[in-house]
Amino acid sequence: MQDFIELSALNKVYPASGSGPVGGIRDINVSLPAGTFFTLLGPSGCGKTTTLRCIAGLEMPDSGRIRIGDQVMFDGKSGSVVSANNRKIGMVFQSYAIWPHMSVFENVAFPLRVAKGQSFSKNDIEVAVKKALATVNLENYGDRPATKLSGGQQQRVALARAIVREPRVLLLDEPLSNLDASLRDEMRNELRRLQQRIGITTIYVTHDQTEALEMSDTIAVMHAGEIQQIAGPREIYFDPATQFIAGFVGSNNWIETMVQGGAQDALSVSLQDGTQLTGRAREPIAPGTKVRLSVRPERIRIAPGGQQPNNGNQISGVVRQSDFVGQMIRFSVEAAGAMLSVYAENGSVIGVGDNVTVSFETADTLVFAN
Amino acid sequence: MNAGLTIEGYTFAHYISLISGSDLAQTSITSILFSVGATIVSLLFGGILAWIVVRTDAPFKALAFLTTIISLGTPYILYVTGWLYLLGRSGPVNMAWRWATGSNDVVFQVNSLAGMILVEGFLWSPLVFLLLSAVFRAANAEMEEAARMSGASIVETIWYISLRLAAPAVAALALFVFIRNLEAFEVPALIGIPGNVDVLTTEIYHSVKRMPPNIGFASAYSVVMILCIAVLLHFYSRISAKAEKYASITGKGYRPRPFRLGSYRWVGGAIVLFNFLIVLLLPLSAILWMALTPFVQPMRFSALSNLTVENFENILSQPYYRELALNTVIVAASVATIAMVITLFVGWTVARRKPAAKLSEQLVTMPLVFPGLVLGIAMLQIALKSPIPIYGTLWIIILGFVIRYIPYGMRYTFAGVLQIHPELEQAALVSGANTFQKIFRIVAPLLAPALASGWIFVFLIATKEMSMPLLLAGPGSQTIPVAMFDLWSSGQSGEVAALGLLWAMVMTVLSSAFYFLTRRASSNTFG
Repeated sequence: MQDFIELSALNKVYPASGSGPVGGIRDINVSLPAGTFFTLLGPSGCGKTTTLRCIAGLEMPDSGRIRIGDQVMFDGKSGSVVSANNRKIGMVFQSYAIWPHMSVFENVAFPLRVAKGQSFSKNDIEVAVKKALATVNLENYGDRPATKLSGGQQQRVALARAIVREPRVLLLDEPLSNLDASLRDEMRNELRRLQQRIGITTIYVTHDQTEALEMSDTIAVMHAGEIQQIAGPREIYFDPATQFIAGFVGSNNWIETMVQGGAQDALSVSLQDGTQLTGRAREPIAPGTKVRLSVRPERIRIAPGGQQPNNGNQISGVVRQSDFVGQMIRFSVEAAGAMLSVYAENGSVIGVGDNVTVSFETADTLVFAN
Repeated sequence: MNAGLTIEGYTFAHYISLISGSDLAQTSITSILFSVGATIVSLLFGGILAWIVVRTDAPFKALAFLTTIISLGTPYILYVTGWLYLLGRSGPVNMAWRWATGSNDVVFQVNSLAGMILVEGFLWSPLVFLLLSAVFRAANAEMEEAARMSGASIVETIWYISLRLAAPAVAALALFVFIRNLEAFEVPALIGIPGNVDVLTTEIYHSVKRMPPNIGFASAYSVVMILCIAVLLHFYSRISAKAEKYASITGKGYRPRPFRLGSYRWVGGAIVLFNFLIVLLLPLSAILWMALTPFVQPMRFSALSNLTVENFENILSQPYYRELALNTVIVAASVATIAMVITLFVGWTVARRKPAAKLSEQLVTMPLVFPGLVLGIAMLQIALKSPIPIYGTLWIIILGFVIRYIPYGMRYTFAGVLQIHPELEQAALVSGANTFQKIFRIVAPLLAPALASGWIFVFLIATKEMSMPLLLAGPGSQTIPVAMFDLWSSGQSGEVAALGLLWAMVMTVLSSAFYFLTRRASSNTFG
């Protein structure tokens, strides 16, 4: 169903501090088709966890509407609200919240034991739990006490518990942040494949943009309580709507320039020393405006010496630092009054102190007014 | 005397007569019944109150904390005296019964096992409240939210998750309170003896106080008690370890929001008020009444004209009481200081797992197996045989108290050191400090809140202790509780009440300081 999940004009303001989630949210509007992997991405305090908890029913918005399928979970105007335990949503918490006094089997079976309006026989429960554990590759762990699980195993048990009742929606609150790096890579992969396999609509919260880019169908980048952009990973990466997103997702270089003129997709800007560059912007910008031109390190070409025989943007500079990081070399080039970060192929023979020309295409730039 | 069981002057005869007499079985059963009953009463009162105060939005919460603070500074004997009056033959409860039913009898005989259980239960419920509210406060919101998201109702969440998670900590506390009830002396002595209800501690006391004292018999009883308590302590440490494991698993994370009681808020408020009434207000009023009347009389409006402050005047004018107060303060302050200094080093040694940690820990926790009375007898023996003349002086009392209260100080320093990240000490070492400099300049200042809390706590319980000084005090080394016991024994309840009230007021200032200190330092106490 198109627009399977709909958040309309959600607002929540937090009074003075206490423990628990911080950060209010303002005018959140989201519309999701069924089966999608949707990520709320942003730094801490941006409101992504608050939004997730409003969908879960663990927080009460001040106003707005939350609809899942044909059920309205929250409506600020009419005051109707479905309590958290009746929303039939699976949720994985950041700390996994595996109950230490129960075995793995009992943890996963719990939703079936307390299910309202449906009664599961002992056999039903066993079958469902085994199926859920198999989905997360923990088939033989049923009898293990929950206190004897590693971090990664706890996370899988949390996942199994969340999907055992085959809910329509799965919520995940930064589930990978407590794992070490190698486990995180592995689980990122597994989570995405699992989601695609069972086709469940998933809402994922993270501050890690690698996770967001790799796993999501759609990303909403949030900052200071507001959604700044909702788009697919490529659009977020190549066409960020704001300076914040351009800096937050991936690495970016920033060059201070002034607009000379031109249309928004071929904006003429000039550096302090007079060098002309051509950039593109998301909207027209008047001449004389101070702007920042962004270009990603991997889109900049670096070559020794003088001019290049093409018409793209070119700036001369001097290499100040060279770091070999294995799959590439990171250069820091002093050019255009800034330190530009340039990724070059790892066989490059350019060294520190060399005079170089860095060049990049207009299509690879984005200009933002300050 | 069985000569065959004598080895070089030592004999098993006492144990034989102890075991073969039917008294041991009877007394033990009474002790157990008393302890179980009192534990249940204090868990009910303190536990339900703790849940309501910590987990709901019920009103009047301040009253619960007020009760705790005041009872921390109140000598047990004062509290018991209040209840004896309230429930006694001519006390308000029985008077109201007689007035209502016209009978000449009593509805409740306070000098009975039931009376003992009730009063001991009330005596302990403030501490149970304090410790259980720490347990409930440590609940992890995500554990409960996960249950809600899994479909559980609020009641199911509390039953299957919250209570089960708290169970080991509650069980450890229950066991701890049970052990302390077994060792209790004030209630069995003041309430039980007049009603001929004997428990193990009063039996021991009888043996020592008769003429001639039967120390051998008392010691045999004591050994039996110690063995039982040692076994119980073993179970206590196992349950405690499990509780600590749960606490560390669920410890990180934020605290749940209070349950909104909605229209049931008045029920919560009523429970808080009821508790305040029963545990504090009623006994305090009784004590105040006794202090303000020239001789013990029933509560009647007609007696209001007799109110007088002469009891207070008597107490305040006699230098004897000032000397007592001074003795008590000197003893308590010395004990607290010595105990905290020792436990600073031992607590650090055990927490950092230095060599001899295990042995130190065993040594320092061992005094827990000795009931205060038993320790007193042991100290008595030592004092009598000691070459240095400490018998009858304050020193023997101080020594006994230090031994008794070191385990309590340990809990504060041990928990406190654990909260100091080892890297803070390693940084000191790398910067060139030796171990002593490190402990005095880094560990001790960081430990200051825990040390202060421990000091005040030991000070407060040392001022309340009656059983040991009762045995050890000489004419010049009496403490306040001992003096109160003497006054009580000679029927001067007015003076007992006045002295106790004045003393409790002063101690309450200290216990308030303790309470606010521990709230801020948020260090773990027992269980």
